[in-house]
Amino acid sequence: MLKLVTAILKPHKFDDVKEALKKDGITGLTVTEVKGFGRQGGKTETFRGSEYTVELLPKIKIELIVDEAQVAKAIETITAAGQTGKIGDGKIWVLGVDELVRIRTSETGVEAI
Amino acid sequence: MIKRFIGGMKERDSRRYFFTYLGGKMIGTTAVLALMLGLAWYVGGRAGAQEVETPLTAAADLINPINTMWVLVAAFLVFFMQAGFMMLEAGFARTRETVNVLMECIVDTAMCGILFWAVGFAFMFGEGNGWIGHQFFFLSDAPATYGTTGVAFLAFWLFQFAFADTASTIVSGAMVGRTSFKGDLFYSIGVSAIIYPIVGHWIWGPGGWLATMDTPFRDFAGSTVVHTVGGVLALTGAVALGPRIGRKFKRDGGGFMVGHDMTIAAIGGIILWFGWYGFNPGSTLSAMDLEGIGRVAANTTLAACAGCLVGLAFMYFRTKKWDPGITINGFLAGLVAITAPCYWVSPLGAIIIGGFAAIICVLAIDAIEWFRVDDPIGAVAVHGVCGIFGTIAVGLFATGDFGIPGATGADISTGTVTGLFYGGGTDQLVSQLIGSAVVTGLVLIAGLVLMYGLKAAKQLRVPTDIELEGIDIHEHGGSAYHPEFAFTGTGVPASSGASKEA
Repeated sequence: MLKLVTAILKPHKFDDVKEALKKDGITGLTVTEVKGFGRQGGKTETFRGSEYTVELLPKIKIELIVDEAQVAKAIETITAAGQTGKIGDGKIWVLGVDELVRIRTSETGVEAI
Repeated sequence: MIKRFIGGMKERDSRRYFFTYLGGKMIGTTAVLALMLGLAWYVGGRAGAQEVETPLTAAADLINPINTMWVLVAAFLVFFMQAGFMMLEAGFARTRETVNVLMECIVDTAMCGILFWAVGFAFMFGEGNGWIGHQFFFLSDAPATYGTTGVAFLAFWLFQFAFADTASTIVSGAMVGRTSFKGDLFYSIGVSAIIYPIVGHWIWGPGGWLATMDTPFRDFAGSTVVHTVGGVLALTGAVALGPRIGRKFKRDGGGFMVGHDMTIAAIGGIILWFGWYGFNPGSTLSAMDLEGIGRVAANTTLAACAGCLVGLAFMYFRTKKWDPGITINGFLAGLVAITAPCYWVSPLGAIIIGGFAAIICVLAIDAIEWFRVDDPIGAVAVHGVCGIFGTIAVGLFATGDFGIPGATGADISTGTVTGLFYGGGTDQLVSQLIGSAVVTGLVLIAGLVLMYGLKAAKQLRVPTDIELEGIDIHEHGGSAYHPEFAFTGTGVPASSGASKEA
């Protein structure tokens, strides 16, 4: 059974998380620069003297597909490397993956990771 | 073609447009012709009436206005170098500190203007002793023209302000990404009001001790005065600050943090090159020395070209890539190096100086990297090290044909400048080495005192979390680049009662 692990991270923690995952033998991940809010809330910005409560902060979203057996390890690695202990460190969630195909070879399932 | 035209003419609208346009053009052309003929007749008639007219202005009376205009044009070009610096620095910086880079350059300029009005010009160009001037504070008691230049005093001031501003902006280049805005304001005061003007006085000021040595130290447009001073202060700033968080150096398996916009950086570099046409040729302070300004402009171009190509080739040899960063730094290195010798060398000499400058620049970048000093745009290598090389190059490549530019033309009455390679012996070279070494050494000490003083007062660097999340968002209220819809879609003015909890 394959799983999709998605994590939202503080942008400056991305490098640490990526390196830690590579050390664990993760062969690939997808990164998106995103904006969002959680319990940390927004940030007050100013533009030409007007204050704006921009309820979004820049975050990094990473997605990786791993075998079920590796999920716990991946979560542990991301948590350890991505943690600052301050509010806004982000979240990790895991979903099941119905199918996975490597386009180049048409391999499917675990071989396609 | 003709068929289409005839076909078109059959239609009523096309016919109407054709005649309207043709008619209009004919009327316009006739009017202009009539005006030209009329004017010619009028002017011709007047000239005919007054057969012998005494010229209102003697040729000699035009010298000062022409020189002043030349210096002002050059001042405007040098001022425009600020745009080049802003773009170069912003391009090599990361998005999170772009507003900070822009703001530092703009506010440096404004502060430098006021400080150079108040004290900077007085320290640098006022009469005094060999070490410091003390005349013209707040530009008081100013004569109509400055010294023997015949250039309007305030035009000369403007030109020199633009130079001082350049020096203070160079310093910020090596300190990008971690210097607090307040810290930048504090050290800029030290640079613009004290360090730059005092060092400048030794070389360009009346009675400056380096300018009055037996064999005077020569720095035509400021390889030492502007670039070495700026570059060495940049080094002290970068050393006092330490590297940006997360910056890994080459010997530790890392490399430069990638700049965020090469388009802006490259265009900024070319704008600097353009501005250099004010920097070097304008430093004649005289348009009457027409051969001089032509030679300086050509030498400036050739050194930049050589620096560009040599930098490009040198990096290709190393990495098999046509590297944009080093190509830009290569021509800037050539420009910095030719700044001191541009008046005294031949075009071939300029090419050799520019080419060597590019290699020296790359090696200096390597050395600075090896010492684990984080210089995001290469200011120390380009301005500091190549400034020193350019200054020494006067003592090697000066041809011995040229003296100094004067208000009414080239002036060799006080002797010519000859370098070692042109049979001038080592006199000039020794003077250049003394001047460069003393300036580099003393500025290094002054810079370390200034920067470490600010560091001790906890004013120099931003706190860690601000550096990680970006100086822009914390110190300047927002980023340079917004995701437009997400930003305006949910951002509401705080006064409307929205939650301000952060």
